[in-house]
Amino acid sequence: MNSAIRNRLLTILFVFGLGIYALLPSLRYGLMDENKKSNLSDEQVDYFESRSIKQGLDLKGGIYIVLEVDLPQLIDNLAKNKDNNFNQFLSELKGEYNTSSSDFFTVFESLADENELKLPRYFINYGKTKEQIITQLSLQSEDSIKRVIEIIQNRVDQFGVAEPTIQKQGNNRVIVELAGIEDPERARDLLQSTALLELMIVKNVESTNTIIRQIDSIMAASNANDNTQSDEINELFDSGSSSELGFSSLLISVGGNLAISSKDLSIFKDILSKDDVKQILEATNSTILTSDSSIKLVNEIGEEEEFYTLFHLFNNAELTGGVIEDAQMRLSQAGVTAGQAVVEVEMNSEGSREWARITGANINNRIAIVLDKKVHMAPVIRSQIFGGGTVIEGLDSIEEAEDIAIVLRAGALPVPVTIAEERTVGASLGADSISKGTLSMAIGLFLVVCFIVFFYKMSGLIASFSVMWTLILLLGVLALLEATLTLPGIAGLILTVGMSVDANVIIFERIKEELRNGKSVRSAIDSGYERAIRTIVDANLTTGIAAAVLYQYGSGPIKGFATVLFWGIIVSMFTAIIVTRFVFDFVTSSKNIEKLSI
Amino acid sequence: MKFMEDTKINFMKFKSFGFGLSSVLAFGSIIILLMGVNLGIDFKGGTAIGVSFSEDVSIQEVRSSLKSVSLNDNLVDLSGEEIKYFGSQNDVMIKIKSLDNEPENFGQIVINHLYDSMSSKAPENKNDFILSLGSVSPKVGSELSGKAFWSVVSALVLILFYISVRFEFRFALGAILALVHDVIITLGIFSLTGFEITLSTVAAFLTIVGYSLNDTIVILDRIRENMKSSGTVMFESTINKSINQSLSRTLITSLTTLFVIVVLLVYGGEVIRPFSFTMLVGVIVGTYSSIYIASALLATIYQSSNK
Repeated sequence: MNSAIRNRLLTILFVFGLGIYALLPSLRYGLMDENKKSNLSDEQVDYFESRSIKQGLDLKGGIYIVLEVDLPQLIDNLAKNKDNNFNQFLSELKGEYNTSSSDFFTVFESLADENELKLPRYFINYGKTKEQIITQLSLQSEDSIKRVIEIIQNRVDQFGVAEPTIQKQGNNRVIVELAGIEDPERARDLLQSTALLELMIVKNVESTNTIIRQIDSIMAASNANDNTQSDEINELFDSGSSSELGFSSLLISVGGNLAISSKDLSIFKDILSKDDVKQILEATNSTILTSDSSIKLVNEIGEEEEFYTLFHLFNNAELTGGVIEDAQMRLSQAGVTAGQAVVEVEMNSEGSREWARITGANINNRIAIVLDKKVHMAPVIRSQIFGGGTVIEGLDSIEEAEDIAIVLRAGALPVPVTIAEERTVGASLGADSISKGTLSMAIGLFLVVCFIVFFYKMSGLIASFSVMWTLILLLGVLALLEATLTLPGIAGLILTVGMSVDANVIIFERIKEELRNGKSVRSAIDSGYERAIRTIVDANLTTGIAAAVLYQYGSGPIKGFATVLFWGIIVSMFTAIIVTRFVFDFVTSSKNIEKLSI
Repeated sequence: MKFMEDTKINFMKFKSFGFGLSSVLAFGSIIILLMGVNLGIDFKGGTAIGVSFSEDVSIQEVRSSLKSVSLNDNLVDLSGEEIKYFGSQNDVMIKIKSLDNEPENFGQIVINHLYDSMSSKAPENKNDFILSLGSVSPKVGSELSGKAFWSVVSALVLILFYISVRFEFRFALGAILALVHDVIITLGIFSLTGFEITLSTVAAFLTIVGYSLNDTIVILDRIRENMKSSGTVMFESTINKSINQSLSRTLITSLTTLFVIVVLLVYGGEVIRPFSFTMLVGVIVGTYSSIYIASALLATIYQSSNK
């Protein structure tokens, strides 16, 4: 063996060795049985997890969610002196932004110009000119996305998910990927809930009754206006829609509280969104909220109906979740709630002082514990409370209590988030994809090898050898790059098997041609390779360009495919040009071959 | 094994037939595309839900159970949405257009509704019921469409540039026209079969762009090589000779690629099927177009510029 051939052999063996070394952890981890896996120490698990080929969410099952900060809501929160003009602008802004693909503040600016909205009137705290205000507002939005990411990170950490990824996308989005989630509904709620805890004093019965009478009279007045033309029809049928009968007719009294049937909730929302009703509530500095959980009652015709309790509250929260130091799920020990899950909240010193002051000043009043604008409970304050503790009751399950404790500890989101995009894959579908992908790969590889050996005999075997190594090295590269294998990625692997033969085919056809032209085996191989290489490089580079563009464009699964495609091209060029060439040279150098099996 | 060795097929003789066939196919595809492309939720926005029942269900059954779904205390009729089997008869895929005022967790609400209203056929654990849930807001949908469009365009431009540098502009023109031809016809056949266009089909289209070019370049490379000896005289016979010389390679590679794609189509499962199907059509059209579009166009371009 001459030294040139030996050096090439060493290079090839080195690359092969590197590929196998890179793949080893994936193989060992993949073949390990569950028993052994559970016995691994944390460091060992970390080692295997980081060195193994990662599976994408579409294979492992899990949830991919893009949360978007509700920027119109943020603008609404920041604005002062809001009037009808502004409210109209805001609803236009929402509509426009949700259907266009432009940046939020571009839409904001052009709409503000169009409506001739005087921005300083509403945002005087943020600057005197339009430019200043927009700069300041976009700083505010950046700040809020930063806080949203921090808080979501906190929540996910406490929820306990293996290897979550949380990353910012663009100016106002967060991508959250949680693998192996069993209950997507619960995870989604945990991410999305604003978790704004408010402690609010319940208004006394007299002022509540006054408000209800006032709302009734507003509705009577507006109905009279609406119905002037349809009077005759009304007389004919004597119909009474529930809204016509007024607000109070929707309400029943349950154990000293007012309650509303679940089927009337949408009417209730409509009533509260009327401008006149809003004004009255604002004038009395109050708000009406419903309870979080419902009670089931049997109505007059014997059907079961769900009812939500209504609360008339002072609009200003006495305390908010900002003062919370700790929140824990507990099982209640005593009283009527014994055995139920509750959340115990502890406040910091400032919160405790406030809490003592509030409870001292409101003895015999009721205080509502409100989470995300839903009243969880409204106990009567019997005595002043020192030490800053309170308990949230009225939760459906232990899981709900655990999740509320988590979101309270992690803090409230500064602004609501909406789900812009979601992809959830159930674990069973993912497992199915893996097994089908593996099966396809095995069958595909088998067919290709048979076909090539049938056509090219011994040379076909060499080509099959190189296709095999293409696959091994490609997987090795994926492990080294810590790339994620997705379902389209598996398709890419299978495609690589089919296409990586191509370089070999181009070479073999050239060699055959040279042989037909009467060249000797040795020189046919040399000139065949020489002429084929240029074609191979040109042809593969264009696929490489497509793969690179795909990588730039795609997210998740598509990126996985692009990675496989790109490296598949590079690895298959290596095996076809270097490895098979070496095998040919090695075989023909030892003895003088006169006929090539091709 | 002797396979297509030393063939002397006069491909260019059928040049006009090839142009005619391609024109008809491309024209037909454009009409199909103008009639409407079946865009998936990725580009249009909306919700796609995959659920798995524990026994066979009929589409009609699912449809009638979606007749009234309670959303935010309003009853909504979703029975008109697209409902189809997903692989087997116990798995169902439902695609719902995005609604105005869609509540948060819309997909989950629909899943819960189905689970409750068809509980006798649903698995005991609700988490086994959910196969997949995808939802894309119209805003994200329009962003993704824009990105997909520009990615295909930029891939084409980059490739045009690359071939212009490596060969010459006339070669690049033929290659790019062949590519556009492949993409349009594949898109047409794809739409005709009722598959919907998703992110992964765009990936398949970009792969076809790469693959079909791969094929074209191998032939163009031969033409360039043969032109060195024969010049541009007798251009058609040079092209014929080049196509014949690379014919066995073209067919063998296309066959091995087709093998694995067919395997993927048959055994790869439902999720990857639109991808496999696109590739299948694309590889066939791409092989044909390397011969009849790229090379034949080149012949025509040279003839007209030499006159």
